[in-house]
This record gives sequence, C-alpha cells and structure tokens, in this order.
Amino acid sequence: MLPMFDYLKPRSLDDALALIATTPKAFPIAGGTNLLVDVRSGKVQPEALVEVGFLDELCGIRKEGGEIVIGAGTTIAELLSDPMIESQLPVLHAASTTFANTLIRNRATIGGNLANNAPCADTAPALLVLDASVELASVRGKRSIKLEEFLTSPFETVRAVDELILAVRVSVPPRAAIGRFRKMGLRKISCMAKVDVAVLLDFNSEGICVDARIAMGAASPVARRAVDAEATLVGNPLHPERIRRAADQTAQAAVPRPGSEYKQQVVRSMVTKLLDDIAREGGDRRG
Amino acid sequence: MLEHVTPKPLPDVDLPTLKQVGKPLRRVDALGKAVGATVYAADFAMPNMLHAKVFRSPFPSARIAKLDVETARALPGVACVMTGEDTHGAKLNTDLPGQTGRAARAGSDAPVLASDIVRYVGEPIALVAAESIAIAEQALRLIEVEFEELPAVFDPEDALRPDAPILFEPDNVVAKYAIRKGDLAAGMADADLVVENTFTMPFIEHAYLEPDAGVAWVDEQGVINIRVCTQVVEHFRSIARALNVPQNKIRIRGTMVGGGFGSKEDVTVEIFLAFLARETGRPVKLEYTREEAFAATSKRHPFVVTHRTGVKKDGRITASEIKMVADSGAYPYLTPYVLLYATGMAAGPYKVDNLHVDSVAAATNQTFTSAFRGFGGPQAALGYEQQMDEIAKTLGLDSLEVRRINYLKRGETTTTGQEVKSAAWSEECATRAVHALGDRAPSTETRRIGRGMASYFQSYGRIMWFHDTSQAWVGLEQDGTVVLRCGVPDIGAGQSNSICQIAAELLGVPLERVTIYSTDSAVTPLAGTSTATRQLYMSGNAVTLACNEIRSRLLKRASESLGVAEEALDLGESRVFAISDSSKAIDLPDLAKLCASEGIGLSHLAQFNAPFTDGLDPETGQGDIWPDFTFGAHAVELAVDTETGEIELLKSAACHDVGRAINPAAVRGQICGGSHQGLGYALMEDFELKDGYIQTPSFAEYLIPTVLDFPTTDAIILESGTGVGPFGAKGIGEPALTPAAPAVANAVADALGVRIHDLPLTPKRILDAVQRSGRKDDGTAE
Repeated sequence: MLPMFDYLKPRSLDDALALIATTPKAFPIAGGTNLLVDVRSGKVQPEALVEVGFLDELCGIRKEGGEIVIGAGTTIAELLSDPMIESQLPVLHAASTTFANTLIRNRATIGGNLANNAPCADTAPALLVLDASVELASVRGKRSIKLEEFLTSPFETVRAVDELILAVRVSVPPRAAIGRFRKMGLRKISCMAKVDVAVLLDFNSEGICVDARIAMGAASPVARRAVDAEATLVGNPLHPERIRRAADQTAQAAVPRPGSEYKQQVVRSMVTKLLDDIAREGGDRRG
Repeated sequence: MLEHVTPKPLPDVDLPTLKQVGKPLRRVDALGKAVGATVYAADFAMPNMLHAKVFRSPFPSARIAKLDVETARALPGVACVMTGEDTHGAKLNTDLPGQTGRAARAGSDAPVLASDIVRYVGEPIALVAAESIAIAEQALRLIEVEFEELPAVFDPEDALRPDAPILFEPDNVVAKYAIRKGDLAAGMADADLVVENTFTMPFIEHAYLEPDAGVAWVDEQGVINIRVCTQVVEHFRSIARALNVPQNKIRIRGTMVGGGFGSKEDVTVEIFLAFLARETGRPVKLEYTREEAFAATSKRHPFVVTHRTGVKKDGRITASEIKMVADSGAYPYLTPYVLLYATGMAAGPYKVDNLHVDSVAAATNQTFTSAFRGFGGPQAALGYEQQMDEIAKTLGLDSLEVRRINYLKRGETTTTGQEVKSAAWSEECATRAVHALGDRAPSTETRRIGRGMASYFQSYGRIMWFHDTSQAWVGLEQDGTVVLRCGVPDIGAGQSNSICQIAAELLGVPLERVTIYSTDSAVTPLAGTSTATRQLYMSGNAVTLACNEIRSRLLKRASESLGVAEEALDLGESRVFAISDSSKAIDLPDLAKLCASEGIGLSHLAQFNAPFTDGLDPETGQGDIWPDFTFGAHAVELAVDTETGEIELLKSAACHDVGRAINPAAVRGQICGGSHQGLGYALMEDFELKDGYIQTPSFAEYLIPTVLDFPTTDAIILESGTGVGPFGAKGIGEPALTPAAPAVANAVADALGVRIHDLPLTPKRILDAVQRSGRKDDGTAE
C-alpha cells in the first residue's frame, strides 16, 4: 500500500514553488501515473506530494502568435480532444493516440511524461520534431530550455528539485509541413514503445525539402533527433535514394542497449515507411 | 499450404434432444458477477480483523544467518510475528492435492516458512499480523535479517551437471520418466529420413484477474475457518497436518475464484492465514499485491523439447525419440505430475509404434513451477506440432497430409500404450479449423502472410491411480425447486453452472429453479479439485447419479398416480407427464408434497468414482494414465512484417470435439479464452528471470494480450457424444489452450520460410530469423 506522506494543495503557483523549495523530500505531482507507482514500490520515499496539475499556469492549451503553449498539467486525453492540436500539431496528436491506454491517458500529463524522461516516453519524439521548449519555474525565477537539452539521461532531466515545469512551447509548423508518428510495441495498446519515430518535413513549391526533423524514442538512452539524416533531406526532393540514406543515418544515430541492436533495423524500416508515405502524399499534392 | 481444405464429413451421431443441456442458457453465476453482488475473497472483512503481510527472501540462494523479529514484534499495533521456529518447521504438503491418493512422494516439500536456506526470490520467511496494513508493512521493515549468499543455478540443464549447486540432496532431479514402446532402432532403420529439432518455451505467469486473498478466523467450536479463493478446498487436510490439528478442525470456505488457471491449485495464502488465526485468536486477512502474486506463486514450466523422428518419404512416422527437460524452479510442487502429463502426451495424437521418451525435471533457484492450464500438455504440443511441420517441410509435403496419415484413430494406442476408447476426430477438427480461415490474404515483399495449424490430444480427468472421486447431494424442495450441494470450486469456467444445468435437465425444471451451494469443505459434499479438466466429468457424473436416483423415485410415484408405466413418463417444465399424452401429468410441487407426506425421500448423496488403475510399468512406462482424451485443432493466419518484426494475427479458428456441449455459450467462452491465452504464449508472454531475479514484476513489464491484439477465435464445436462425462461430454477447459501456440509458431515459420525454435516470437527473434532466411531487407523503398 502507499506509505504515509503529506498531501499539499497550494493556493497559487507561488505557494507551490515555495512549498517545493522549502519542504524536505517534497515532490510535485500531477497525474501521478509514474510517481505513485514508484512511491508504492518504495523507490521514491516522499515526505510530501505537492499537487500542481490544477494550477492555472499549468492548465490549458493556448496560441501565442506563431506558437502553441501547452500547460504542463495538460493530460494526454486533453491533448487528444483538442482540435488545435489535431489540426496544427498532428504529429503530437498521433503520438497521443498511441500513449498507454484510456485510463492512463486520462491522468498522465505532458509535463509528467517529460519530467519522468523514460527512454520510451511517447510525447518526447513528437515534441522534439516540433522543436519544443520547456518552461521551468522556481522561487529563483523562470527559464526556458530546449527539449533536447532538457532530456539528459534516462529518467534524468535538467529540472532542479525545486523546479516545476510550467508549460511546453512549440512553434506551429508551416501549413505545408507534414508530420508523422509511428510506435512499435509488443501489443497494440497499453505497452511501452520498443521504438517510436516522429518526422516533420516542410517543402517549398518545387517539392524541395526545406526543413526536416526526425526523432526517435526507446532506441537510445533518451529520445533524440537524427541531425545527419535531417541534413541529408534538406535542400533535396524526397527521392528514394535520399530516403534510404536518411533512414540509414537515423538507424546509425540510434544507440540501443546491448542485445537490442535489432532496434536499429526497426528504426530504419519505420523511417523509410514514414518518409515513403510523405513522398507519396507530397506527390499527390503536387499532382 | 493449408488452402482449399474441405471439412471431412462427420460420422453419423445420434444425440438425444435435451431440454436444458445443450442450450446457451444464462449461467447461474452470471448475474451476481455482472451486478457486483459476488463477494470475492478480497471483498470480505470481519470485525476486529487483523491484516497480514509476508516477509520474503530477496535472494535466489542464501543461508539465513540471522533472523531477529523482536523489534518488529514490539511495534505497537503488531499482534504477532511468526517465523519457521513458530511454525515448527511445518511443510506444505504439495503432493497429491485433493481428497484421494495413496502415497505421498518422498521429498522436498516446501517449508511453510524458510528458516535455514532460501532457494528463490520471494520465498516466505516470516509472517506479520497487525491492526492495519500500514503497521504490518512497517513491521516487515523492522525484521532484522542477515543472509549469506550461496551458489545458485538458473538453468535446468546446468542443474543436471555434476558440478551444479544442489538444491536438495542427492541431486537436482525432481522427476524422471522413460517410455519404451516398440523397437526404436528397427523403426529408425526403417525410416527414409530422420528429422531432428529442439524447441524451447519460457516461464509463463497465470495472470489471473484476482490476486490471491483470504480471511481466516477461529469459530466457537475451535474450528479454523478459512475463506479463500482456491481451486482445491481439500487442502484443509494438508493444512491440518501442518498445524498438527485434527482434519475436522479446518474448514475451507471457498469463494468464487477470479481466475486460477492452475495457480490456485497449490496452497497459497490459506496456510499463512490458518497459522495466524490460531496464533492470534482473531480474524486475519491476507491479500497479495499483484507483484506478490507474481513472485510468490507458481509459473508454467519452461521446457526444452527435442524430437528425433524417423519418417518414410510419404510422411509416415516409423520411429520417434523424444527428450524433455523441464525447469521445476526451487520446489517440486506439482512438477512430477506436469512432467508425467508432458511425457504421456509427448508423441501427440499420432500413431507411433516405435517410441522412446526420456524426460527429466530439474530444480533451479527460480520461482517454482507447477500447474498451469494444460499441465505440460501445451509444452508437449509445442514439441510434436512444430516437429510435424518440420517433417512436412523436409519432405516437401503438405503439413495436413503428413498429419492425416499419422493421426491416432479410435482403438489405437497413445504414447503410453493406452487405448483411445472415445472418438478421435483429429482430421474432422483440423480440416474445419483450416477451412474456417477462408481465403488467404496476399503477401507483399515485406508483409509475409503465413498459415499454421496444430492438432493435439489432451486428457481430461485426473491420473487414474489417484483414485479420484466426487460427491454431490441433490434435493427436491416441496415447491419443486432444486437444491444442489457440491464442493466444486468455481474458477470462472462455469463449473457450478454445468452441474446445475445437468440437474435441471434430469429433474425437469428450468435452470432458474436450481440453487447451488458449493465449495465448502465442511458442509458441501467433497467434489475434488477444480483442476485437470475434471469437474464436468467427475461432479457432472456425481450429480447425474444423484439426480437419477431422485428422478426414478419421482417417476415411480407418478406412475402410480397417473396409471402410466414409468418408461412411458418424462420430466419437463416442472411436471411429470405421459410421453404419448402430455395432458396426463402431475406438477412437480404436487408430486413432491405427495412424496413428503408418504415418507419418500427426495434427496440423495451420490459418489462417482473414476476408473482406478495401478500406474505405469516401471520399465517401459506403458499403461493407462487418464480416463479419456479430448481431440481438436487450431488454425491461424498472420502477417509478419519482415522489416520491423511485428506480427499481426489476422484470423484464428479452433475446432474441438467436446463430446457434448452442456452449455455451448460457456464452451465457446472456454475456447475463445483458452486460445487467447495460448496465442499470448506464442507471441508475447515471457516471465523473465535473470540470475534468479524477476525482470517482469508487474503487468507493466509482463505483457498479456488485450482484446485489441487478436481477432476473436472462431470457435467450432463438434459433438461426438463419446466422452466419459455426463451426456457423452468430454473436457474443454485445458484443451482449449493447447493447440493455439504451436499453430502460431507454424504460421510464422510458414511466413518466413525458417523456424524460430524459441518462444515467444518477439520482433527481435523475427528479425534474427529474417536475417537467417537470407531475406534481409536493406530498407530501400519499393
């Protein structure tokens, strides 16, 4: 059973930050789908859990100019039902559809998924191709940091113990950009990814790729972009030879655990399939 | 392969039309479960109740150098802490569960609490009972213990080597069998070709919905009552022995079981509860967490199975040499019997006249293995059915054709020389299962379609030298309703419903007019274990005997009233009527009152005895083991992604001869559920241990199939009417699982052109096989 701990519900963000800063062994909690499992098993032994998911600053999805700001307390279910996410960030929407199961999606939050930084966190590859930034706050002030820099090593991030993720900020991709996401696990729902791949490509009117982003999860200690593969695609039409090389480069950028080298082959295949799809779609559009 | 197969015509079977049996009636247990009225083991509480927790070994092999529970005992709110010293070294009597059996096997039964050596991670060492779960958990942390780690062994083949650490003297051999049938050398010499393959299977977790739980208390007679989810209420005897109390001072009140699959065939929480209730004199509750249910209860045996088969060019088997190595884990539990089942079914539903089987189970420092739906049968089938496909492939023949010419027929003998006396509809079932797949989907370069099928035969009813019995009491009330008392544990497969439906049939009342009281070792007649696919056979026959006695009394008295001969009367719709003129009738309530006023008893206790035999020939392993066998087949079609290693199961069809379907909806449920479990065995389930430590401690890591993963199995039910159960029924509970996994393995081999010899068929293994097959794709888009 869960051990005893204090459950603190602050009145405001400032209260929350103060509580986290001053209470020994206090952990912020929103969905709790990772944290409570660890508390129950004894891996995490909190003296207090500070409820933060409901705070105004962590709630809601809003547009600010060319950017979309997603409150860290936004649940995966809320992401899924948000029309703006579906129409403007389809790659994140797609990642959300593969996330765990309905029960977990109703509780788990985007901020928690990033803060936990499991190698197989489903939102991470999608947010990496969206060039997301993470907004952090503490009693010492606020800062914003690129997601690539935020995710440091498995289950570790740059978040200081007294810091709270407020929101995730992404630039809305150009209208012509095409995003895709694919997950492979051992079963169709409710499982951790064996490999996640997200791609986001933008083309000019001549069909030349002007921006390319490829990210993968679960195939490396932390979710990461495949910058060499991206460079291969930019400045060129999406021809089979380019796709093949980009897929190879993405596979080479994967760093699976010993014994899981097959994941490189899976990455190569998934990237190939996603890029093939985009090539076909691009052809359709131009045609 | 496996296309355009025509169902083999069925022999003529004349099954009588029945009124209640054979209909998909709403099961008697359905409504209570649907509305949440069923009080499962963990749903129960008593005033003044304590909460228990178990302190377990964190090491796979260690000596307990120091165990000090005084600090834990002193914690306020702790009622008692018990160690092996307090249980006086009591052992679980894991041998021969149930009410019968002649001799206990000598040996290495697990201690209730380890006090010297621990042999697996999760082995119980101490018990705590406290005022709350929180206090009990705190007390666990106050137990002071020091371990000295000992050498350990984690692989059964390693465990059999001379230098292996020994779990129990003199060696790690837990059980060993040898079958010698015909002349192996002559059969091999007669062969055109010899095919040899080795197959492996992992540990599997039962993954029942309901973690083990129970409440125990001592009543005013000094009887220790234990309300628990179990497949075996007769464990009261071994519990009495462990506690050194008379057997009539332990009462098991079995609850509706939220899934057992064999795991609740062993003693789980009930023995701890008995010790704690006696020690404290207060009600005690113990409920395992999911992680504890994973770590503390049995698993399916990993097997290594090698087949060396001599065949003629036309596929006929001339000789077969089979070797099996099973992993028993740290304690024997039911391993000797699981190994016997696998050994006795090793050659499958095929006529093999020249046969050697050598099997051995070895102890390792891992979670113990014991009963699991199929009880060694699925492992045997994974051996013989993958081998049949390999034989067909080697000879360039159709796999169904190779099976067809080797299928065992009625009157022929099994691996142990036992004659099959009921219908053996292997070909009837196989052709129907394959036919049900319809047209084959087209393959593409990277999405290979594969088809596979598997036949099987599986016993139902217990090993006959266990001298199995079942009792049932049936009574007709004066308003014409029926009361059934039978100790049958209902583990969700419809055990209680089946016997109610039989009583309704024989006493001529609607199912709603039958009420059953079950699963109480003190007040319901003992019906034996809900294991071995035996309840319909055993208790169904016991209920039939009891009902027929009452039925004959009713017909006799009605005959006098109506002036119609007994043979010309029938029972139905709560009345006795003349078959030729149904207006000549007497209502059951009137007849029951009449009997009561005249002193004609309308209740009866009956006992059904299974055939008793003496066991196998010690030299040859030949002899009769089981009362009868179920035959059937499973077929699947699937798609393998050769680039990602993903498998999509497209179609699944199973056909079984169940003898007679007492409740076709329940039979369908067994076939669909059993096949899903078997499909998961092939495709994802893997209870992983690394150096004795569990790598899949919960449902986050141990994956079982969800409803979205596989299509619903098309269940084709055949009824030969030839079984030894009531109305010619055979058993289907365990058989439903057995052929599913080999069918999948064969389909994957069909898709890839190479076989993967190890389960489960994960993407990693698929991609390795793709590489082997030389069809490695370089990832270029087509």
